Amino acid sequence: MMTHRRTLSSLTVLLLLLGLAVAACTPPPAPQAAPAEGETGPAAEPVEIEVFYPVAVDAPIAQILQGYAEAFMAENPDITVKPVFSGGYGDVKTTIQTTVEGGGEPPALAVMLAVDIYDLINGDLIVPLDDYIEDRAWLDRFVPAFMANSSFEGQVWSIPFQRSVVTLYYNADLLAEAGLEPPDSWQSLGETAQALTLREGDQVVRWGIEWPSGWPYWLFQPLAIGSGRNIVDPGDPLTVYFDHPDVVEAVQYYIDLSGVYGATPPGVQAVWGQAPSDFASGAAAMIVHSSGSLAGILEQADFQVGAMAVPGQEPGTYATVPGGGNLYILKGAPQAERDAAWQFIEFLTRPENVADFSMNTGYIATTDEAAELMGDYFTQTPQAQAIREALQYADAEFSVHNLGEVRNIFHKYLQAAYNGELSPEEAMAKAQEEADAALAPFRE
Amino acid sequence: MVRRPPLLPYLLVLPTVVFVALFTAWPTLLAVYQSFFRQRLNIARFREPTFIGWGNYQELFTSPDFQQVLANTAVYVAGTVPVSVVLAFLLAVLVNRRALGIGFQRLAFFYPTILPMVSAATIWMFFLTPDYGLFNQALAFLGYRGPQNWTANPDLALFAVMMVAIWKNAGFFMIFYLAGLQSLPTDVFEAAALDGAGFWHQLWLLTLPMLRRTTLFVTTIAVIGAFQTVDHIFVLTAGGPSNASTVLLYWLWQVRFEYQNVGLAAALTVVLVAILLVFTVTNFVLSERREA
Repeated sequence: MMTHRRTLSSLTVLLLLLGLAVAACTPPPAPQAAPAEGETGPAAEPVEIEVFYPVAVDAPIAQILQGYAEAFMAENPDITVKPVFSGGYGDVKTTIQTTVEGGGEPPALAVMLAVDIYDLINGDLIVPLDDYIEDRAWLDRFVPAFMANSSFEGQVWSIPFQRSVVTLYYNADLLAEAGLEPPDSWQSLGETAQALTLREGDQVVRWGIEWPSGWPYWLFQPLAIGSGRNIVDPGDPLTVYFDHPDVVEAVQYYIDLSGVYGATPPGVQAVWGQAPSDFASGAAAMIVHSSGSLAGILEQADFQVGAMAVPGQEPGTYATVPGGGNLYILKGAPQAERDAAWQFIEFLTRPENVADFSMNTGYIATTDEAAELMGDYFTQTPQAQAIREALQYADAEFSVHNLGEVRNIFHKYLQAAYNGELSPEEAMAKAQEEADAALAPFRE
Repeated sequence: MVRRPPLLPYLLVLPTVVFVALFTAWPTLLAVYQSFFRQRLNIARFREPTFIGWGNYQELFTSPDFQQVLANTAVYVAGTVPVSVVLAFLLAVLVNRRALGIGFQRLAFFYPTILPMVSAATIWMFFLTPDYGLFNQALAFLGYRGPQNWTANPDLALFAVMMVAIWKNAGFFMIFYLAGLQSLPTDVFEAAALDGAGFWHQLWLLTLPMLRRTTLFVTTIAVIGAFQTVDHIFVLTAGGPSNASTVLLYWLWQVRFEYQNVGLAAALTVVLVAILLVFTVTNFVLSERREA
């Protein structure tokens, strides 16, 4: 009984200490929001904005953004820009969501996924940018594929910033050795991958192709587009085409890469992180991955690296899909801050800054004017030029209302098909049915 | 004369009461309340909560996803808790002696606890890599020729994340057993040894019964921990493939932050709290009864 008492009292002490620790951790009261008169005051009133951004690539994003902020502040002494590192893409969005739900004030500017547009509009978190864009022609500078997820109901809600695209990387030395041309159709892709698969006994020494599918929709989309039917329609965020025969064919093709061609391991491949190093070390002759992996691959590979869009079903057709983050202005920030945020967006999208950002991070230059400034870089890195050219085959990334739920449904059934638990037809029919149900409340 | 109740004890527990009320009781009550409302933050007309009675629970209990998630969670808890607790006890017995470098051994077993779960899971991702991962190479060396795609095979993904959890927690629970072992009275064991009881006899008939409180405490935090820890799932499998490794809390996070369905997430919270409450109370009552 004594020990019991002792345990209890020490537990109490522990809890007390915990309580104190929690109390000590409570942040000091937040600084008062800018006085209301600041909103209507003259433009010269000093204003401070925060920019929430994620780091999703292997590049010194923090340092680079801080550099832009300083250059911008030198031009605009009245505006203070504070870039705030906020985790991954999901963390940035969740932080802003919970801040606003809790009655707090969000940052004026944030870098969030282009595909989050409907979630952000539906959550009443962002403002359309049309009032800032004096001339619609200003938007024409951006590569159309990168604007595909920026508009809703005739308004523009985000500006392309750190963008990438699905890329097929191939080991050009191996292709040359085998006397093969880069693939230009599903069939030649399968055959090339088959020819480059190297077996010793029952052990595979080199796979013909690695196609990660642990988080599968993005790398799957080029197959659907190349088959003739993207799973979404950029103009219609309420409709998905999961059970379209072309999409089902695309699912079957992925399965065939292992089942028919024996060129990739069977089933779902949760190898996103490892695929670039597999490719660079020669354990895979081709991979499908993000354009953002180019710099890392070039650094490691001791062979000629080729980069291109994913071949489509018909010979001579190609397909790919963009990804990455856009700049959004948050509704909850005061007007003066939002105006300053737009000025910073204009600064960031100047050709010289877009080019600089692209060359320092590996993200794709979002405007053609910027790409024209990158001649030397493209000469040194022809793959970067090839990736930029692949953009002409890009269609919209998967973005609909209720994206989180619909995407999870699609992932569930796509992986079930990949793993052979359901046939592609059955899987996609069920995915369509559940997705339609998940979208139904958004139709009214 | 009326004796005045002592004030000091109440003052001493006051901070705890305040914090428990603020950070545990209040959110729980709020979740119960919210679970009866439809509130979906990504649909304008449902952004303001509307009372829908048991609607959220109905949706939950008719959802095949929920059934799968519950089954996954049951397997996860039933698989990780007993194994890690038994392992913790054995590790504690192993390092509860004086020997050269015993501190180092204890540290080695405890080390996984110090690592943040995300870092640990990232390391395990390399262990679990298909083909040439450390884990597959070791298994191949031992003659294993089965499936190797640990995090993407529907039959192995849940097992893979369970393995990481067991590895991560056993050392932590070991510390409690070690502390328990070191506070046991030595005279009982001396007497048993005089009577000729062997090591296993002593372990089974003396050590284990005397450590019952420790076991109660460890199993309680182990079960709660098993429901609470999902960081490694984010890193290793993202709940996949096809939700095969999605457990209750991971799904709760998805429903709340990805689906923006506040009402359904609240109902899920209530289910989670109810399960934990039933377990903790049962565990406590059963053990108290045995005590008496």
